[in-house]
Amino acid sequence: MNLDWLDAFLLFGTFQVVMVIGLALLLHLQLGLARIANFGVVGFWAIGAYAFGVLFTKVDWSIGEPWPFLISMLFGTVVAGLAGLLVGWLIADLEIEGVLVGTLGFATVVAILVTTERGLTGGALGMGGLSFPFDIGKTKANELLWFGILFVVVGAIFYYVWRVHRSPYGRLLIAVGDNEPLARSLGKPTFQTKLWLFAIGSAGMGLLGAINGVMVHLLIPEGIGINVTLAAIVGLVLGGTARVWGAVLGVILTVGFFDIVVQSYLPLPRSWYTQAIPVLREMVFGAALIIVLLVRPFGILGDMRRDKLIRSTHRD
Amino acid sequence: MSDSIGPAILTVEGIRSGYHGVTVIKGLSFEVGAEVFAVLGANGAGKTTLLATLARLIPLTDGGIRFRGEDVSTLQPYETADRGIGYVPQEHGAFPDLTVFENLSVGGMIGDRPREERMDEVLDLFPDLKALAQQMAGTLSGGESRMLACGRALMQDPMLLLLDEPTAGLSPLYVDMFFEKISEIHETKGVGIILAEQNATKALEVADRVMVLSLGEAFLVEGADELTTEQLKEGYRI
Ligand SMILES: Nc1ncnc2c1ncn2[C@@H]1O[C@H](COP(=O)(O)OP(=O)(O)OP(=O)(O)O)[C@@H](O)[C@H]1O
Ligand SMILES: [Mg+2]
Repeated sequence: MNLDWLDAFLLFGTFQVVMVIGLALLLHLQLGLARIANFGVVGFWAIGAYAFGVLFTKVDWSIGEPWPFLISMLFGTVVAGLAGLLVGWLIADLEIEGVLVGTLGFATVVAILVTTERGLTGGALGMGGLSFPFDIGKTKANELLWFGILFVVVGAIFYYVWRVHRSPYGRLLIAVGDNEPLARSLGKPTFQTKLWLFAIGSAGMGLLGAINGVMVHLLIPEGIGINVTLAAIVGLVLGGTARVWGAVLGVILTVGFFDIVVQSYLPLPRSWYTQAIPVLREMVFGAALIIVLLVRPFGILGDMRRDKLIRSTHRD
Repeated sequence: MSDSIGPAILTVEGIRSGYHGVTVIKGLSFEVGAEVFAVLGANGAGKTTLLATLARLIPLTDGGIRFRGEDVSTLQPYETADRGIGYVPQEHGAFPDLTVFENLSVGGMIGDRPREERMDEVLDLFPDLKALAQQMAGTLSGGESRMLACGRALMQDPMLLLLDEPTAGLSPLYVDMFFEKISEIHETKGVGIILAEQNATKALEVADRVMVLSLGEAFLVEGADELTTEQLKEGYRI
């Protein structure tokens, strides 16, 4: 297979976009429906990646491929889910400020642990050896196949979120987000509902983290900064939290614009990529968010679901 | 005490409750059967606090609540809802980000009868809601959203319905209509209703018995026909 046409930046950029869409979709259920402001997305994402990496590279596997890889993937997903269960249990009954601080703090703790626990994670030097579970020839071919797998996973996440959106469970999540005390008298345990939502979402984020880790082959502390969380949140809010497509559209317009259009097609000096671009990216994201919130407060795809807020403030 | 109320559905024994050290309900005891039981009292008397306590949204500091023979004092609100207590709060009784239809359908998440059957009954009771089915509850008028809140609670097929001032701030015509609905719900479904009200005249028209709350204590519990204006005035400390 001749893959010369495929630019490496383009492939990595598209990979990032699809991965962040997955994160934004999971966040859609938490923030968009149940109004749980999870600002610790990158924490769960990193836990998934590192738990996968530690098990995959540090254990003396006596069974053949692909089992060590698959088991490690599952392990990363489950550990991230358990972290979600723990964090969810701590924040489920807190007000929004508490949730913000709690989740943000959690992500910080993860970043610190990754740096200090050198024996397991490689510390600041990073953890390498995360290779593809297959080898079909050229590097680019392997990367393309891995991208396909990510695409399938994010497709499955989209389908799940889509189904939840129109199910009784989805309505319960909206009810909990709207008015938790009232939702408590609906006859379903809201605390457990939120806990499960958090655990499932975190597990999904962990899986995406592990998949990303394999694509980049190397896990380093700089890779798990707040910018991952921000990319998902900005995309989600920009596209609108009321609809499932909002997350997809928002991420394409933000991360897509930056990681594909700017990095692959604008004739920028190479030296910019490490220094200027990441900073520029944050600035443009922030500006885009401010503009959208001013012009379309409920996101590009926002609809009546949020328009009532305007009406109720008029009435009060 | 008066009127035979039939077997009690709800038995309240010496309950105390309130907010962060402030005791609002100070040792109340009463029984409610399959009747319309009005709770009257001035602003701040503790009507809302009492109903929220019965719905188990506010913890008890003393006393006990039995519902159909079971001690529900330590249950969670979702568990009492499941046992058959429907609660319609004074404000914000519907979910603004769900449509009218979706509100009714989350109301019907529990219960054994088919949801469609219950939904039809609720829409027969409040026909105005039919035309609004796809509208977001957050955009309803005050009266419409009260109907929806009540319909949402009825979707649970409750044995006991707690209604907190369902007609406060609404037009007289609507008030008359709503009180008729209350009688209708009680008569056709045999549901016990605890109705917190400011509007004593209206409440006495539909109620079988009345409790006048005064500063968190039951001033008196009477048959609705026997309550005199003087007693009422005394209860309201006028
Ligand atoms: N969240 C709260 N924290 C502290 N005190 C409260 C709280 N809610 C109510 N109270 C107090 O409890 C008392 C009883 O209030 P409650 O709302 O039960 O009265 P009410 O009889 O329903 O009045 P209204 O007819 O005005 O609705 C009042 O003095 C009120 O100030
Ligand atoms: Mg009240």
